[in-house]
Amino acid sequence: MSPSASTPTLAPEIADPRLYLDSIPHERFTQIRSMPGLAWHPYEDNGFWAVTRHADVRAVSRNPKVFSSAIGHTNLWDLEADALEARRSLIDTDAPDHTRLRRMVAGAFTPKNIRRWEEAVREITVELLDEFMVRGGGDWVDMVAAPLPIRVILSMLGVPVADADYLVELSNYLVEGTSDTQSLPPDAFGNTTELRLLPFNSPASHALFEYGDEMRSMRRAEPCDDLVTHLVKAEADGGRISRHEYRHLFHLLVFAGNETTRTAISHGAMALAAHPDQWQRVLDDPGLVEPATEEIIRWATPVLHMRRTAATDCELAGTAIAAGDKVVMWYASANRDEAAYADPFRFDVGRGDNEHFAFGGGGPHLCLGAFLARLEVSVLLQEMAARRMFLEQRGEPVRMASNFVHGVLSVEMAPGGKP
Amino acid sequence: MSAELVRVAVDSERCIGGGQCEMLEPEIFLLDEDEVISSVIGSGALSRPRADVVVHRCPGAAVSIVEPQRPSE
Repeated sequence: MSPSASTPTLAPEIADPRLYLDSIPHERFTQIRSMPGLAWHPYEDNGFWAVTRHADVRAVSRNPKVFSSAIGHTNLWDLEADALEARRSLIDTDAPDHTRLRRMVAGAFTPKNIRRWEEAVREITVELLDEFMVRGGGDWVDMVAAPLPIRVILSMLGVPVADADYLVELSNYLVEGTSDTQSLPPDAFGNTTELRLLPFNSPASHALFEYGDEMRSMRRAEPCDDLVTHLVKAEADGGRISRHEYRHLFHLLVFAGNETTRTAISHGAMALAAHPDQWQRVLDDPGLVEPATEEIIRWATPVLHMRRTAATDCELAGTAIAAGDKVVMWYASANRDEAAYADPFRFDVGRGDNEHFAFGGGGPHLCLGAFLARLEVSVLLQEMAARRMFLEQRGEPVRMASNFVHGVLSVEMAPGGKP
Repeated sequence: MSAELVRVAVDSERCIGGGQCEMLEPEIFLLDEDEVISSVIGSGALSRPRADVVVHRCPGAAVSIVEPQRPSE
């Protein structure tokens, strides 16, 4: 914090993961949004500026020269310099590295190229929904929300179907690594790397790196039409991507392709079960699938925040920020900002002009998989509508105690008919 | 007053291939298959409000409005 700054307003506690066990602490965020300027939030031995308003999140996200992703860490806690380097992925880079790496994979995720996956997504969705109905329901996360996105991303990467379960298992351990619980011993999967040097401090990251390396060798020997082959070619072709960058991109694609859309589909199902009138609107008007998809993604906000670090002294919302300060964009708050949305706490499948920040705050780190996530959610809604499925939630969900991901571990659902 | 048409341009250095422009205005923007850089196709003419939306939503701040040259007096 700048020594010249006057005593800043203090934010109420929002970093304690336990606050997120029952729901996002929205009342606290609403309180912070109403405070003048930016509120300071003590954290560990220092603290961060809590950026909670929609307009302020956008200003941070779209000014990467001032608000860096490469300094410190993009999570709340700092990493030691060697750990930051060892763990650095696309997420923790600034231009020009970010632009180069991003373009390496962006081609697979453009609107046009994502549309090519529609039939594959539909096939998987139909299989999962039919099984869900035959069995009369069950854990929605386990039966639908988790398998749909992971199967799709593995297909895109080119992972053999036979290995899908193994990668799902690894990915689930990584999800676990975003919370305080870690059920794996440090040497699981033959890991010998210090955990602090691995993403999510998880030995499952080691296993995922190893798997990515194996695929790299396989595709080098025998190229296919998949994302791994594409990356391997980029590596061979004048070293446009380093081995470290390849390993971390593979890791990121598996993790982010799994965890985030799973969360959107889990919260989406709960929202539809709680608001059958809104679901009825979608059934009556298929044109609402698109805005309903955006609303579900806003409602879910799978990633609750991302951190930036000020590269220079600057000012935001009238508050002086010193070089080196942590600046945290709370997407969960921006997506309920009354200044950006009419009635933000209402779930409205017809909401127009829904510029939500569930894919980031509008800057260059915009979620790579945004169009894929939209496709998966919209195909799911179409197929649920085709089955006239009115989800009924049975009991409370088991949520993750995490301030970073809005995770749902399980929620029982039944495929009811019209109530 | 009828909707004013403006021309848009893409700064290829800044473009990150995020695809927002192609999503919003598929008739005007196209991402290159190899380099994944957006470029303007066709006339590149858009109504000013629509152009403002694309400029607003471009994650790399790569899209800009080319202001018309005023005839010298």
